[in-house]
Amino acid sequence: MFKIENLKKESLGKLPLLERREFLKMGFVVTGVFAGGSILSLVSNAEKVFASAGEFAEKYPYKPHYSMVIRQNLCIDCERCLEACRTTNEVPDYGYRTAILEKHVPEAVGQKTEFIPVLCMQCNDPPCVRACPTKASYKDEVNGIIRIEKKKCIGCKVCMVACPYNARYFNNETRAIDKCDFCFETRLSKGEKLTACSAVCPTGARTFGDISDPSSEVYRMVHQLQKRVWVIRAEAGTKPNVFYMKS
Amino acid sequence: MKKYFAFLLTAVFFHASAAHVTLAAPEETGHGGDIIYTKPVKGVLFSHANHVEAVGLSCDSCHDTIFPMEARAVQKNKDFTMASLYKGKYCGACHDGSMAFASNTQCARCHIGVKGFERLQKKSK
Amino acid sequence: MTDDKRPARVPLTSGLVDSLKEGFFPEIQAAVSGLLSGTRSFYVFFVLSLLTIVAASIGGLDAVRIGYHHAYNVTREIPWGILISTYIFFVVTSTGLCIVSAIGHVFGMKDFMPIVNRAVFLSVVTIFAGFTVIFFDIENPFTMAIYNVLSPNVASNLWWMGTLYGAYMAFMAIEFVFLLLENHKFATYAGLAGFLTGVAAHSNLGAIFGMLHGREFWYGPYMPIYFIASAAMSGGAAVIFFTMIGYKVNDELMEAPMKRALEAVSKLTAFMISVILFFTTWKIITGLVGAPGKKAVIMATLNGPYAINFWVFEVLLGMAIPLALLLSSRFKNLKMSFLASVLMIIGIFFMRYDLVVLGQVVPAFHELGVNEFQGLHPYMPSFHEIMIVIGGMGIVAAGFLLGERIFKGHKSSH
Repeated sequence: MFKIENLKKESLGKLPLLERREFLKMGFVVTGVFAGGSILSLVSNAEKVFASAGEFAEKYPYKPHYSMVIRQNLCIDCERCLEACRTTNEVPDYGYRTAILEKHVPEAVGQKTEFIPVLCMQCNDPPCVRACPTKASYKDEVNGIIRIEKKKCIGCKVCMVACPYNARYFNNETRAIDKCDFCFETRLSKGEKLTACSAVCPTGARTFGDISDPSSEVYRMVHQLQKRVWVIRAEAGTKPNVFYMKS
Repeated sequence: MKKYFAFLLTAVFFHASAAHVTLAAPEETGHGGDIIYTKPVKGVLFSHANHVEAVGLSCDSCHDTIFPMEARAVQKNKDFTMASLYKGKYCGACHDGSMAFASNTQCARCHIGVKGFERLQKKSK
Repeated sequence: MTDDKRPARVPLTSGLVDSLKEGFFPEIQAAVSGLLSGTRSFYVFFVLSLLTIVAASIGGLDAVRIGYHHAYNVTREIPWGILISTYIFFVVTSTGLCIVSAIGHVFGMKDFMPIVNRAVFLSVVTIFAGFTVIFFDIENPFTMAIYNVLSPNVASNLWWMGTLYGAYMAFMAIEFVFLLLENHKFATYAGLAGFLTGVAAHSNLGAIFGMLHGREFWYGPYMPIYFIASAAMSGGAAVIFFTMIGYKVNDELMEAPMKRALEAVSKLTAFMISVILFFTTWKIITGLVGAPGKKAVIMATLNGPYAINFWVFEVLLGMAIPLALLLSSRFKNLKMSFLASVLMIIGIFFMRYDLVVLGQVVPAFHELGVNEFQGLHPYMPSFHEIMIVIGGMGIVAAGFLLGERIFKGHKSSH
C-alpha cells in the first residue's frame, strides 16, 4: 500500500545523493566536503564528474587539511576538553577558545538534553580574515588554520563582530585577539598529532585529523552516506572545517 | 535494621559533604534522592525518584547487590567505567538495551555534565 | 563672490585673511583678539566644553589605566558599543557636512554658498572628535598606525574606511585653508577630493556592516546606501544647528543670503528625512519575513527592549517631529528649523547606537536553541564609555566655538 509517510522517509534518506547529483549536473565537483545536504565548498571542475555515490571529493585546498568531526551525541559535558584547552593555550579565565553548549528538549522521548561543543570552525571562507584591516587574522596557507599574528592586531574587534560562531575574544594579557588554532602553536607545530581537546576527550566526541587524507578517520566519518553530517550555520556561507554528526 | 543503619549513614554522609549536593533526607522521600557521580567524569545523575517512583523498583532491586547503600561508594572503584557497564556491571545490569535503554546510547540522559552538576548544586543551596 | 556684495563684512574677514598673507605672527594676534572679543554666552559655553573635555580625559585615561575590559561594558558577544556608535555619529555628521557644503562649493548651487566655510570647518572638527572617541575604543591604536601602512588588507572595509577617512580629513582641512585664503579654485579641487574620499570612506563604513555575512540584520547593500543618505540628513541638521548657534554666540543678526541658505538646507534636510523614513519603513517590512535572526531584531525595535529608542528617539525626535516642523513652517521659520535640527541630532545619535548594538544582540548560535543563548544579548554603556562620548561632544563644542571666534563667524566672500 502506498503511504506518503514512507515515501517521505525514503526520499529524506536519499536527499544527500540527490543534491550531490544536482551539483554535478551544474558542472561542479564537490571538493571541500559534502555533508548531509550541505555542500561546503565547491570548485568549478567541469571535466571531472563522479559517477557513483561512493566516489567523493578528492581535492582539498590544504595539505594537511586539518578538520574536526564532532560526534555531538557523545559529548557528556565532562569539560575535560575545556580544561585541557585552558592549560595548553594559557587561556585566561575571562575568555575561552572552545565551549560546550547545552540544549534542553523537554518534549523529547528519553534523553532530553544534548551537548554541543563549539570552537573556531576554521572556515574555508573566513569572514574574520576578510574583515581584519591589518592581516593580523590570516588563514595559514599550508594547513588552512585561521591564525593570529599578535603583533599586527590593533584590537578593533571587527573580527569578533564578523565571526558567525562567537569564536573570538580579546586577550588582555597578549594584547591581541585570541582564538582556537587547533593547538597549532602549542601542539601541532611541535609534532603532536592531536589538539589538546580531542586528545583528552574520554568519549571520542572530538575527532581531529587531516581530511585530505582518505585513510584518516575524519575523512571516513565525513565521506559516507549512512549518517548525516552537517555544519553549524551553513547559511552564513563560510565553509567550515568543523563537522557535526551523531554516531 | 541493617538497612536502616545504612540509610542513616547515607544521611550523615550527605550532611557531612558540603561540596556535594544536599538532598532531601531519605526518611522523607522513602528513597535516596538524586545521586550525582563526579568520577571518573563529572556530572552523572542517578535519580532515585525516577527509578523508585516512576519505574517502581524497590530498594532491594539494586541494594546491596549491585550498589552498596552508601551513596557514590562505587565511584571509588577502578572499574566504575562505561566499559564495565557494557559488561553488565553497575548500571549496565539493567541498562543493557532489553531491560532498559542500553548504556551505550542516550549518553546525556544520565550524563548531566558539569553544567547540570553545577545547576543542581546551586539549586540545593 | 564679488566685492560689491561684501563691504559690510570686510572688517570681520579682512583681519585674518590679511594676517595670513602677512605671516604667522599677526595671525596669532588676530586669533587671540578674536577670542577675547567674544560674547558672554561664548565664554560660558566655551568653559563648559573645556570642562567636559577635562572630565572626559580623566575618564578616558582611567579606562586606559584599569583596562578597557574592566572599564567598558562591551563583551565577547557585543564587542562594539556606544564608542563605535558615537564614532559613527561623528563621522556621519562630518560626511554630511562635507556633502552639504559640496552642494554649494563643488556643485555650484549658489544658495548653499554662505554655509560652506562653517560646514567645511566643522567637518574637520567632527571627524577629529570621531577619531578621538575611537582612539579610546581600539585596544592598540599605535599598532594601527604602523600596520595599517605595513600590512594593509585591501579586502577589508575597515582598512579602506580608516585610510580614506584619514585622507578625507586632510582634504577637508586643505579645503578650509584654501577657503580662508580665498583661493576658490584649489578649494573646489580639495572640496571635490574631500567629497569623493568622504563618500567612499563613509560607504565603506556602511560596508563594514553590510559585508558581514554572519550578521543578518546588517548584511546586504542596504547599509552603504543608507549610510550615505543618512549622512546627508545629518549634515543638514548639523548645518542648521551650528549656523544658528554661531550667530547666537557671535551676537550677530543673520544676513539675508544666510537665511536663504538655511532655508535651502532645511528643504534638503526635509527631503533627506523623507528618504530615511522611506528606507527605515522598508527595512522593517522586509525584516518581518524570512531570516529569524533579523526578525527578532525588528521585533525588539518595534515592540521590545529597543522600542523606546526606536519609536521615541529615532522616529519621533529623529524624523517625524522635525519633518512636521520643517514642513509646517514652510522652511521659512528658522527657529522651527533650529528646533528640528536639535531634535534630529538627538534622534540620530540613537539611530547610530541602535544600528550598531542591534546588529549584535542576536546570539550567533540562536538557531541552535541552546540554553546559553536564549533571548538577546544585553548591553548598557558603562560610566567610562559615557564619559568618553561626552568628551567627544565637548571637542566638537570647543572646536566649533573656537572656530566661530578665530574665523569670525566663518564669513566668506561667497
